[in-house]
Amino acid sequence: MYTHNGQDIFVVDGHMHLWDASPENQRPPHGKNWIDCFYAYHSGLSPADEKWPYEKFCQYGEAALVNDLFVKGYVDVGILNSTYLYEFYKNGFNSHQQNNALKAKYPDRFILNGSFDPRAEEAGLEAFRHMVEQYPIAGLKLYTAEWRQGSKGWRLNDPWAYRYFELCQELGITNIHVHKGPTVYPLNRDAFDVHDVDYAATDFPALNFIVEHVGLPRLDDFCWIATQERNVYAGLAVAMPFIHPRPRYFAEIMANLLFWIGPDKILFGSDYAIWTPKWLIEKFMAFELPDDIRQEYGVDLSLETKRKILGENAARLYGIDPAVHREKLRRDAIGVHLAAATADQAGAEAFPVASVQEHA
Amino acid sequence: MPKEAQSLLPSDVPDRAVILERLQRVLDPELDEPVLQLGFIESLHVHEGHATVAIHMPTSWCAVNFVYMMAEDIRHALLAVESIHAVTIRVGDHFAAPAIETGVNAGTPFAEAFAAEGGGNLTTLRETFLRKGFTSRQERVLRDLKDAGLTAADICALRIGDLSFVGDACLAHCAGRQPVEVGPADTARRYLQRRGDLGLDGSPTGPLITDLQDQPLTVERLEEHWTRARTVRLSLEANGAFCRAVLAARQTSSHELSFLGQTKRCQR
Repeated sequence: MYTHNGQDIFVVDGHMHLWDASPENQRPPHGKNWIDCFYAYHSGLSPADEKWPYEKFCQYGEAALVNDLFVKGYVDVGILNSTYLYEFYKNGFNSHQQNNALKAKYPDRFILNGSFDPRAEEAGLEAFRHMVEQYPIAGLKLYTAEWRQGSKGWRLNDPWAYRYFELCQELGITNIHVHKGPTVYPLNRDAFDVHDVDYAATDFPALNFIVEHVGLPRLDDFCWIATQERNVYAGLAVAMPFIHPRPRYFAEIMANLLFWIGPDKILFGSDYAIWTPKWLIEKFMAFELPDDIRQEYGVDLSLETKRKILGENAARLYGIDPAVHREKLRRDAIGVHLAAATADQAGAEAFPVASVQEHA
Repeated sequence: MPKEAQSLLPSDVPDRAVILERLQRVLDPELDEPVLQLGFIESLHVHEGHATVAIHMPTSWCAVNFVYMMAEDIRHALLAVESIHAVTIRVGDHFAAPAIETGVNAGTPFAEAFAAEGGGNLTTLRETFLRKGFTSRQERVLRDLKDAGLTAADICALRIGDLSFVGDACLAHCAGRQPVEVGPADTARRYLQRRGDLGLDGSPTGPLITDLQDQPLTVERLEEHWTRARTVRLSLEANGAFCRAVLAARQTSSHELSFLGQTKRCQR
């Protein structure tokens, strides 16, 4: 919860992780390459005093996450976008099975997202159904650029993907987060290409497609698609940290998104632990579009728009009523801890994860 | 020529100016910026006609297809210099460095070098980004023209020959008026260069602002055309800013790491 002039602002972190990239879990060589790449993102765009030591970045654990999101970071609800990467990490990077431990412990603080790979065809459909029965899966995170047994990635408009989307509709899974990013191996085509989102969004109007990282580095292509398709949304993870080293570009990115797709289809995301929500949210709340950009684009990053981006848009997609949910959060272990810290006026201390485990 | 490029080569290397000029033309195709300015060239040595170029990318995970294009382009640029007869590219810390180096240094096309991993032809990808670069370069020209006070009608009426260059400045000659300074010459030159690369009309009587099909823009279409072009320009620029920030962080941390490594050795 962020409080602005006495007004509560509901915050949903639309994209966060609890990963294990410890050397013990890495498979050589890509396990290390992958986390090194993330660490370069982290150090390249974080303010100096928000940079973590490399060892902590590889494995930070539950206590750090709870503090960084809920105690210090203003977040009310975090969306666990599960990432598997079994070829790089022995037990996975942050699978839905691993993430479910957090979801089970703090049920109102997290939204658990699963995944599918259409290349598993018929057998995968059963596994998918099973996952949804077994876990409280609310949405999906899809990685179209992943290699699998000689296949060089897949497209959202592949016939088998459509079979899975049909199953999503049947099972009531409506929010599909799509990651576009580089492959491990080379392709002649562009692995960041977002055009397949267009087909899937047209053919499945009841599903919502949240394009993570606003299609960066293909922001232009993303904007054309999101403008045409009512059910395509912008996830701000990776765009957010521009606010620190390159605020002018951040302003232009926001102005473009507001110009093309409007304030109701943009979702905040920190991509924790690549970046931490505290500084992102503080800077975002203090941020104003420069006058020339505001005039040129005819848009404004008003308080109302910030409220939508920080939480209301995601809450709407996931069927959360912020007022009702806030009451639930006040009563859970983290909420009680926060209330006690506020009453002490001592500021929030670190949340004692271990004691909760004993009670649980 | 940027300072970092000047310091890459000792002043007594034969054809030094030509080498740097050729290298200056090699772009990161995805960002449409010279690899020299981006800091991707770590070192360049020429010994008895053999050039060795070490490049380093922002992350060891950067897309192989784009890295391959840049490595190939650097090699071809240097082989075109008369006094250079051999080029060796080193790719530094990248997960596919050995395969890229082997392929590029042997002059193997990407499709062949990565046949087993689904390489394929890079022509379409290259074309896509040449076109994005065109739009981005044109947007900067349009912005300069607007900032200089030209109206949509003025802009649509301009022919390529209506631009002239005086020192570092570009001047626009609108009919019946004094020439107006419309921003840096380099911005307009880069745009005209790309028109040439794409085979669009570059004659002095040709219209200055056209779409990618070389159709001149009408006053009615100009505003919408520009709102789209500025998003393309931002996409490329923001991506470039991200790559620079990450490369800078990587260089800093590798210096710290090598420093730490030395400390450890001293302790032993």
